[in-house]
Amino acid sequence: MITQYSGIAPKSDLLLLQKLGEILNNRSFLHINSTRTGGGVAEILQRMIPLLKELGINARWEVIEGNEKFFEITKKIHNALQGNVERITNDMWQQHYEVNRENSEKISLYADAVVIHDPQPIPLVEFKKNGKWIWRCHIDVSNPLKEIYNYLSRYCEKYDAAIFSVAKFTRAMPIDEFITPPSIDPISEKNRELTDGEIKEISERLQIPIDRPIILQVSRFDRFKDPIGVIKAYRLVKRYNDCILILAGSPATDDPEGEIVLNEVKEYAANDPDIHVLLLPPFSDREINALQRVATIVLQKSLKEGFGLTVSEAMWKGKPVIGGATGGIPLQIIHGVTGFLVHSVEGTAFRVRQFLNNPEMAKRMGEKGREYVRNNFLITRQIRDYLAIWYFMENKGKNILEL
Amino acid sequence: MEKIIEPFEFKQCISILNSTGRKAKNLRELRDVIAIVSDEAIFHHTYQYFLKGHILEYTNDFAHWASESLEERVLSEHLSNIDPYDFKTIDDLRSELLNVIDKYIERFPEPREAIPGDEFYFNETVTLIFPVGIIAMNLAEFLIAIKYIDVGSIYYHFYEARIRLGVDDFSKWMEDVLGKRKLAGRVRAIDPFMHSIEGIREHIAEAVEKEVREDMEFTGIER
Repeated sequence: MITQYSGIAPKSDLLLLQKLGEILNNRSFLHINSTRTGGGVAEILQRMIPLLKELGINARWEVIEGNEKFFEITKKIHNALQGNVERITNDMWQQHYEVNRENSEKISLYADAVVIHDPQPIPLVEFKKNGKWIWRCHIDVSNPLKEIYNYLSRYCEKYDAAIFSVAKFTRAMPIDEFITPPSIDPISEKNRELTDGEIKEISERLQIPIDRPIILQVSRFDRFKDPIGVIKAYRLVKRYNDCILILAGSPATDDPEGEIVLNEVKEYAANDPDIHVLLLPPFSDREINALQRVATIVLQKSLKEGFGLTVSEAMWKGKPVIGGATGGIPLQIIHGVTGFLVHSVEGTAFRVRQFLNNPEMAKRMGEKGREYVRNNFLITRQIRDYLAIWYFMENKGKNILEL
Repeated sequence: MEKIIEPFEFKQCISILNSTGRKAKNLRELRDVIAIVSDEAIFHHTYQYFLKGHILEYTNDFAHWASESLEERVLSEHLSNIDPYDFKTIDDLRSELLNVIDKYIERFPEPREAIPGDEFYFNETVTLIFPVGIIAMNLAEFLIAIKYIDVGSIYYHFYEARIRLGVDDFSKWMEDVLGKRKLAGRVRAIDPFMHSIEGIREHIAEAVEKEVREDMEFTGIER
């Protein structure tokens, strides 16, 4: 399986993976998150676990179980960490802990290295057995609601290390903090090359006309992704350029707000026949791949963003991308080189018009973007980073490690 | 008996970024943190700047931030003029950074603040070094390798080596092992601050290619 990345991922990443695989051979590596489907974390884990196994590492992925109430609480925590005003009562914190305690009895927590993804399972550290425990924060915590962040810090500080996607999400903490962005898998169903026939078949099935330029945003129906702002930008563009807009996303089991936002979006679209709001079932990877390939321009106009893997996905397909200057998006889009960063609806509309009117520039930035993703945001680089962090944790005190 | 040539073994380093948890929102804070932050953090924001590849308007992260986030372009120019390889220790480099910032603050005592989210974040790195499985027995093999080797390998041998040896690995091998003093001199003359790593690759390849061509033309003829 690793050999499939030859000629796609940088060779040095593949070499280092092999070396780290030899060093960590047969050691156990446990990942825990809160959903098996939907969202970037589940998507990465689906691909990462088999690759780790192939490297000779005994990798395991567990998902905590929770009821509706639990996910409502964790959604509030998630929103508060991204700056929304939310109130979490003592009872709610207690439930958060209790669900994790119950899960700790069902999941074997024995492993040489354990990565806990996001705040839903963060209390599991209270039931740590052995090995190095790392909290992996995937969301934008640069401006959190302080009391919520402080409450979670009591768990966070019990870990051996934390990993954030972007430097500005880090905080002064008494544990090691690493910065490693997430990644996309270039050979997954979502990112592999598609034939023209496949793209045509999917476009027809989803009733997407391909006779005009297509502006696309792929994301959950979440207010932080600003789907309403995207429609506003499209309406500004439409005054000058005929185009169609596609807003496509899948529901996630840990996001109870999705349906409400979807309805808001549909209402705001007001039956405009050129706006296609697509609620795709989970595992619609091939459909999303086709949409990204058929798109003329891809948007990720987020107001808050953990990282925004859809940006890397679109760049990997050579598309010109316009992204909100927030979270991890500026790590992927170098303004004016691999795409454009924007701060407003008006800015978004302006850049869309620029791309539509200057296809050469759009092509050039698309090509640069693809190469930038190749060197920085492929799954092989992320696995390499996780293993390197684990290896470093076991060799504390050395900042240079010769393999 | 034929002399055994010590081959050039290409290695590579990759860096894992870790945060010091410290940040600065204005020049005074930047100065105060530079004064106390770890050597590794100073190293990362100066010597390792070149690993980024795509940004070359300045020569270190401090200069880049002063320009992009504080819009203090005069300071950026002064900071960019600091050559980290001029200093024997990180502390000497740290003192020079402080010296330049202090002088600037004396002249412009109230520089602006970065907008929230645009603060300077002090990071360090953990570096993993590993052989890439490519060795060159002679200049012709070296030429092929340098054309296709990963940029991380060029960074390790051209930039990082200056910390280890005071000189880049390539020219050292050319001089010490191959006895190619002139070629070594040409490689050493490549300005590390004026090119991206890809640019460094091109210049080294160009110098080596010229040497290989001349060697082939003059084979068997006394030079």
